[in-house]
Amino acid sequence: MGKENIVIGLEVGTSKVCAVVGETKHDGTIRILGVGQAPSRGVRKGEIVDFETASKCVREALVDAEEKSDVMIGSVFLAITGGHMDAFNNRGAVNLPEDRDEICEEDFEDVQTSAREVSIPKDNMFVHSILQHYYVDGQDGVLNPIGMLGRRLEADFHIIHGVSNRIRNSVRCVKEVGPEVLDVVFSPLATAQVVLDQNQKALGALVVDMGGGTTDYVVYVDGAVKQSGSLPLGGDHITNDISLGLRIPMAKAEKIKVEEGSVVLGNCLPGETVTLKDETGFAGKEIEREMLHNIIHCRVRETFELLKRRLDTDNYLHFLGAGMMLTGGCSQLKGIQHLAEDVFGLPVRVTHAQTVSGLTSAFENPQFSTAIGLIKYAEATQPIRQRGFFSRLRQRIPFLGF
Amino acid sequence: MIDLQRHQLSAITPEFRIKVVGLGGAGCNALDRLVLDGVPGAELVAMNADAQALAGSVATQKIQLGRTTTRGLGAGGDPEIGYSAAEESLDEVRSTLSGAQMVFLCVGLGGGTGSGGARLIGSVAREHGALVVAFATMPFTFEGRRRMAQAEEALAALQSVSDVVICFDNDRMGDAVSPRAAIQEAFAAADHTISQSVRAIASLATQKGIIQIGFDELAMALRGASRGGSRCLFGSGEADGDNRAHEALERALKCPLMDKGKMLGDAQSVLVNVSGGTTMTLNEVQILMDEFNRHISDTTQILFGTSVDPKLGQKMSVTIISAIGVAPSAEAVRPIAHAQPAAMIPRAAEPEAEDPKERTADISYATTDPISLASPEAVAAALAANPLADDGTSNLSNVARIAAAKKAAREAKQEQMQFEPITRGRFEKSEPTIVDGQDLDVPTFLRRNLKIR
Ligand SMILES: Nc1nc2c(ncn2[C@@H]2O[C@H](COP(=O)(O)OP(=O)(O)OP(=O)(O)O)[C@@H](O)[C@H]2O)c(=O)[nH]1
Ligand SMILES: Nc1ncnc2c1ncn2[C@@H]1O[C@H](COP(=O)(O)OP(=O)(O)OP(=O)(O)O)[C@@H](O)[C@H]1O
Ligand SMILES: [Mg+2]
Ligand SMILES: [Mg+2]
Repeated sequence: MGKENIVIGLEVGTSKVCAVVGETKHDGTIRILGVGQAPSRGVRKGEIVDFETASKCVREALVDAEEKSDVMIGSVFLAITGGHMDAFNNRGAVNLPEDRDEICEEDFEDVQTSAREVSIPKDNMFVHSILQHYYVDGQDGVLNPIGMLGRRLEADFHIIHGVSNRIRNSVRCVKEVGPEVLDVVFSPLATAQVVLDQNQKALGALVVDMGGGTTDYVVYVDGAVKQSGSLPLGGDHITNDISLGLRIPMAKAEKIKVEEGSVVLGNCLPGETVTLKDETGFAGKEIEREMLHNIIHCRVRETFELLKRRLDTDNYLHFLGAGMMLTGGCSQLKGIQHLAEDVFGLPVRVTHAQTVSGLTSAFENPQFSTAIGLIKYAEATQPIRQRGFFSRLRQRIPFLGF
Repeated sequence: MIDLQRHQLSAITPEFRIKVVGLGGAGCNALDRLVLDGVPGAELVAMNADAQALAGSVATQKIQLGRTTTRGLGAGGDPEIGYSAAEESLDEVRSTLSGAQMVFLCVGLGGGTGSGGARLIGSVAREHGALVVAFATMPFTFEGRRRMAQAEEALAALQSVSDVVICFDNDRMGDAVSPRAAIQEAFAAADHTISQSVRAIASLATQKGIIQIGFDELAMALRGASRGGSRCLFGSGEADGDNRAHEALERALKCPLMDKGKMLGDAQSVLVNVSGGTTMTLNEVQILMDEFNRHISDTTQILFGTSVDPKLGQKMSVTIISAIGVAPSAEAVRPIAHAQPAAMIPRAAEPEAEDPKERTADISYATTDPISLASPEAVAAALAANPLADDGTSNLSNVARIAAAKKAAREAKQEQMQFEPITRGRFEKSEPTIVDGQDLDVPTFLRRNLKIR
């Protein structure tokens, strides 16, 4: 197996660091060779807050991944997220020079540059400019304008940016450990690559990754990314609420959430309790089940409602033929699908990485969707890389349908 | 309704007995004011060496100190005589104070009887396991250096026997009256302020709170207050009508010791208690607290309590207590756990008998016992330090253990109380997530005031 086909996806998540070693195949499928993991410390709400501790966790996860997959890790694709990530849609346009009427690659660069001629906060940097649609002389529906005749090329982009320092911090944290960072990818984009297929992207879909620290989302309409972002709310908040509400330590709250957590209200027996076991297995405090569910319900509903409000700022929710895909660790909460359906008014599916082979246990775990998605992202952008443009130019050649 | 309170730390005493002692001329004058204003649920006792002054007091219980020592005269400004006078009458004091759970000691420092006797009276109250809260005035500057020095020495002694000393500067209280007002007017204004604060703290201690303020929170709010150089900020106000939340707060901030709220910005922690009749809504409490938050700095810790008191009818009442001044020193407020008789400890912040019918307001995130209030980590630590505390059978004689538990609970309280921005738990140190003015790190069910069940 050629080494160039091996890709490592690394997510420094709020609750775990995970490094997925995958092999990309010519037919576009990917095979998982191994997953390295370490509990994450020093990360809050998707962002590194304690550099040294986070670095240690990254090292642990990478070492684990090397052992599990028997692959030496020299470079990774890194997922980034956090409430600082922001996005907008904008159109760029170029007029072809007088002496030329055939559109060439150079024009892509210019059109993209012009789409970025929008002011973003001075501490921010551009992370992605994702092509949505081309227009040649005002005509839309153009799939590949290269070689087409025209006077004016326009293109709509979904432009994602974030605070430079925070993004650089993530990169530095990984580089400190050793491997090269080939590219940074906004988490929900990576996730979408494996939870959605081309058809679903074309029909329109909302992907929501509810993790430990953030709830990341991306909206596809007509095959193009229209909205994306990250709410700094996630499973940690649920755990924290339980811990404060039931007055139990965080570790116990986490355990009871994972084992007994649910967002379903009104289906408990009156006075039904959950017994909190202590370390030695002895029965300890009794917790009212309905109360537990209610605390979780409140938080998850609120998070969904906030997300819905954000999405409502553009009117895409009515154009999501494929509905909503829910992934990430919190998607395993009982009843969350119905709660999401209720809030968003969409059909909802709880899902994980699809069209992947290899270690089933890995791709069926919704917590790995992002890291696996990075591999798919790498694969999807690979043809361009191999043409030698590599990351510098990759961004300049917008890749349709991604 | 979330009623998370499960275990009581010990059996609830049917009634919480408070005795208010007025000591010396100033103390008795303040006590007279209190008799006129009324302190529900408290017994008032006047103690003075000056028989004539004592005879003029309107208090029902009186103790003449040092019958043989001073033969009915005052201590003549000599604290040594004041001390001997109190010592002579100690048995009488002891039997009067026995059974009290909380003793409020009002005293004007600088003279003889008050300055000399305060420490003895305080320690007798302590013997019976009562919590001792002293309300002391410091002399006017014009009274001279000697009185000031005497007062300072007495204050230090008083601190060593009290759980909390609330210290009022007569100089400052005089601000309330015109500069040319007669000294009697200045004293009357001071007595009025003392009376207000005694009543406010008495009601804090006896009220059945929805969010109950514990005694150690009070101590925390007053940290630094007992230093001569520090200032006690105190304000309370009541109002009714449509805008009662706003008006009650405004009145509280207008109190003479409040400096119109200006000094609040410097306070490290502020205790705020809001109570109202059954018509009080959570929204009103929220409005009041939001408004109050504008007067304090971001780092100020709010110790918040609220209760429904049907007696208040249509009224809402707010009390603000804090202290600013010299940096908090270890002795400023002596850690309660140390000298306090062990048996008292769980009771210190224990709820009054919780009558479920009383808890009619929307929120009832009860925070009534010190340990259950604590962050989970602190609970764990506290319980590890004192494993029996949970079942009420604990042998509380081990002061060190209790001190550790209390300390853990107190630290936890500093981290989180019931209203934003305090209950952030794990997110204490991370950048808050604010949307529409709400701190989303605070549990949703608390912010939305959801009735669980
Ligand atoms: N608030 C208030 N303070 C007073 C009043 N009278 C005196 N003081 C203050 O209290 C201090 C102590 O005065 P007293 O209480 O009369 O003295 P004493 O403790 O009875 O001691 P003797 O002088 O021995 O009778 C004075 O220095 C004044 O600053 C009063 O009516 N109200
Ligand atoms: N079975 C389960 N039921 C409910 N919650 C779960 C379950 N399993 C895991 N979780 C929660 O999912 C969260 C972790 O999810 P995930 O691994 O997707 O997040 P992350 O990638 O570490 O964090 P982020 O992407 O937000 O930085 C944790 O809060 C965890 O408690
Ligand atoms: Mg994640
Ligand atoms: Mg006198």
